[in-house]
Amino acid sequence: MRRRSAISQLLASVPGRLGLGLLAALTLLSLYVVATYPLDFGPARWSNPAVWSDNPSAVPPAWTNLLSRERRPVHQVVEAHEPSEVATSGPGETRVFELTFVQDADEPPTFLSFTLGEVRYAARPPQYALELVRPDGVRIPLAREVVTGPRPAESGPYVRYAQTPHRLLLSAERGLPEAIARALSSAYPEAANAEAMREALRTRPLAGLFGVPAADGSFELLPGRYALEARFAVADPGDVVSSVRGVAGGAVFGLFGTDALGRDLAEGLLFGLPIALLIGVLTSTLSTVIGTTLGLVSGFVGGRTDLVIQRVADVMNNVPVLPLLIFLVFILGSQLWLILAILVVFSWPGLAILVRSMVLPLRASPEVDAARTLGASTAHILRHHVFPHTAPFVFAQLIFFVPGAILAEAGLSFLGLGDPSLPTWGQILEQGFRTGAVFLGYWWWVVPPGLLIVLTAVTFMLLALGMETVVNPRLREP
Amino acid sequence: MTPSLLRPLLVRAASLVAVLLVVLVLLVVSLGATGFSERMLGAVIGEELRALRPALAQTITDPEALEVAVEARRAELESAYGLDRAWYERLPSTVLRVFTLDLGVARTMRATDGSNRIADIVLERLPPTVLLLTTAMAITAIIGLTLGVWLSTRVGSFADRAISYLASISYALPAWWTGILLILLLSFQLGLLPAGGMYSTPPPEGGLLRFLDLAMHAILPVFTLVLVSVGPYVYIVRSITLDVAQEEFVTLARAKGLPGRVVERRHVLRVAAAPIVTGLILGLTGSLGGSILVETVFDWRGMGRLYYDAIVGTPDEGLIIGLTFMFTLLYVVARMVLEVLYVLLDPRVRYEDAQTLRH
Repeated sequence: MRRRSAISQLLASVPGRLGLGLLAALTLLSLYVVATYPLDFGPARWSNPAVWSDNPSAVPPAWTNLLSRERRPVHQVVEAHEPSEVATSGPGETRVFELTFVQDADEPPTFLSFTLGEVRYAARPPQYALELVRPDGVRIPLAREVVTGPRPAESGPYVRYAQTPHRLLLSAERGLPEAIARALSSAYPEAANAEAMREALRTRPLAGLFGVPAADGSFELLPGRYALEARFAVADPGDVVSSVRGVAGGAVFGLFGTDALGRDLAEGLLFGLPIALLIGVLTSTLSTVIGTTLGLVSGFVGGRTDLVIQRVADVMNNVPVLPLLIFLVFILGSQLWLILAILVVFSWPGLAILVRSMVLPLRASPEVDAARTLGASTAHILRHHVFPHTAPFVFAQLIFFVPGAILAEAGLSFLGLGDPSLPTWGQILEQGFRTGAVFLGYWWWVVPPGLLIVLTAVTFMLLALGMETVVNPRLREP
Repeated sequence: MTPSLLRPLLVRAASLVAVLLVVLVLLVVSLGATGFSERMLGAVIGEELRALRPALAQTITDPEALEVAVEARRAELESAYGLDRAWYERLPSTVLRVFTLDLGVARTMRATDGSNRIADIVLERLPPTVLLLTTAMAITAIIGLTLGVWLSTRVGSFADRAISYLASISYALPAWWTGILLILLLSFQLGLLPAGGMYSTPPPEGGLLRFLDLAMHAILPVFTLVLVSVGPYVYIVRSITLDVAQEEFVTLARAKGLPGRVVERRHVLRVAAAPIVTGLILGLTGSLGGSILVETVFDWRGMGRLYYDAIVGTPDEGLIIGLTFMFTLLYVVARMVLEVLYVLLDPRVRYEDAQTLRH
């Protein structure tokens, strides 16, 4: 059967069409990842806690709000590069950056943080004060700082916070409960129980920051538009404050939620897709090529070559792969190429045995005899007169190998032996399992990676299913 | 057993012994080439010398003479263990050590009786793994056989298509993830079954209660293993039975006007029985790997869970070597049992090599 008709057969069956559709979608997504993600995504971003410090840890996806009656706060990040207000004061300037966000959930944000990007100044370090301006007009002072000053023997202009931005976790500042208490008791003098309010603020400052005091010392949430105001006093108009960022921590995050380190699971899961496809397709291609070649040679050449190849294949085919994979990766180190190589070494033999059995009857076929009489070389005969007869079958095996390789790598990763520089779905699940996400009920951490593994594997299974009629013409229906 | 039955069995046995040998040599070569076996023997010698020192100190009082005596003993031991030779010259003795699980002591793991010998720890974990694996395989075989044969008579029907989809999904399910989902659903959400372990704490007294407790704990791991292996197995049984059903002697039987039921039982199943064992053989590697992962998830105290415990935390190389070898041995033994079954079931094996028939 020729290649063209194999594909049209595939398209004629429902599983074949489904599989091709899914494969197209997965390939497009992978291309997107390859085009947009940095090559060192693993070490530079995924395994770098500093990148994720502004994210809430272990929170479910944002869309879960649609399913529950309670509205939990979404994660809000506001950035500003230009001040909203500039005023001259003496020789210098006052610049005000306003970061606004809306609080309309049934709980206050989980934290409030402020991050200062690169600052350049000529002589005197800028000072800044941070205030929260609430919808009821109350202003709560949050922090007051000076940019790090010149070091001895350093000369201007001075650059600060260029490599690592300066981050303040405002909701954990020591003076915050007192500042809230003072601001609220002057704005709401009728809330008489000041002592109870102070007590409540010590444990839950965020409730006070985003609420109105009630008579019993608790707080009622105050919805509306809040502004985090950063007021910079710079000594020289040429000084630069390049960026400020405010974060109101959510109790839900993005499309897939976060893990215990605050990592955006959507990002990690997406990165896992091309890796999984690479593992599957590369392993299956290599083992198919090796298996087919050895099978063709073994069946066609015969004699001692045949005997040796078949004996080796038989032994390799019967080695239990996972224990050996665990052992070898453990002793030799967990690198992806090594895992791939081991998988290839143990997966070609089955195909070599099968291809040989298909070649045996072809050896004496009239077609081969004719070619031989015409003086064709063995390599030529194998390529043009023997291989084409086995091609649909080999092609089906190529597809069938893919899910096996993906599952093997995932299993290995789950045992903690995955390549640490490349985050895979198996590793995300392993971290969830090891840190007890299963027992804490963090389903968003555990379910999606597995589902993606299943989806990818099923894609190739569907293709293999669609190939069944191609491989076994007897099934091509009455 | 006639000689004609014996021959194919011997061929398989030879091949399986070769598997065992290849794995052993692979283990030993990677140990030797990475310098690990040297460290392993060094630790054993150090252990012996530590035990020897106080005994020697009772007879030799001069500290310098004591050192000399200890060093002499060290040199003696080193040549006895072959540490003064290169690792490849030591190969046969290392193979023997792995073969007898003489791998020294574990770092932190202990057997229930407190022994820290690797052989004791690994052998103690063997029965739970065998129990889990055989139960799951038996259930898989029963379901697979019933469903597969039934489907082979209904090729192209709705049930056939539906099950071929389900089989694909079953094959695509990672065993450990399925286990985690079942724990999330059945243990934590619904509270129906225990989430892990082999017994409740404290374990109930009395044989029957203890057995029932074990059975309760085994339900989820066994169910997981069956779930991930039954799909492909049904499919294999269906395809093999289908192949046989299309052969000439079946067509002849039908042409003779024999009722469908009779043809199915006397002609198709008779010949298909052996390939069905083949299905189990093909699935064995998968089940073995699956059991390692499933034991890990369910904290089933078998060899698989031991693997996980030996990898995380402070890795214990001795345990990992012992376990890799034991799993290979387990595989080879299980294979041999299935091979015997295969030869006994298929009448045609007597005339052909089992090998060529299977493929």
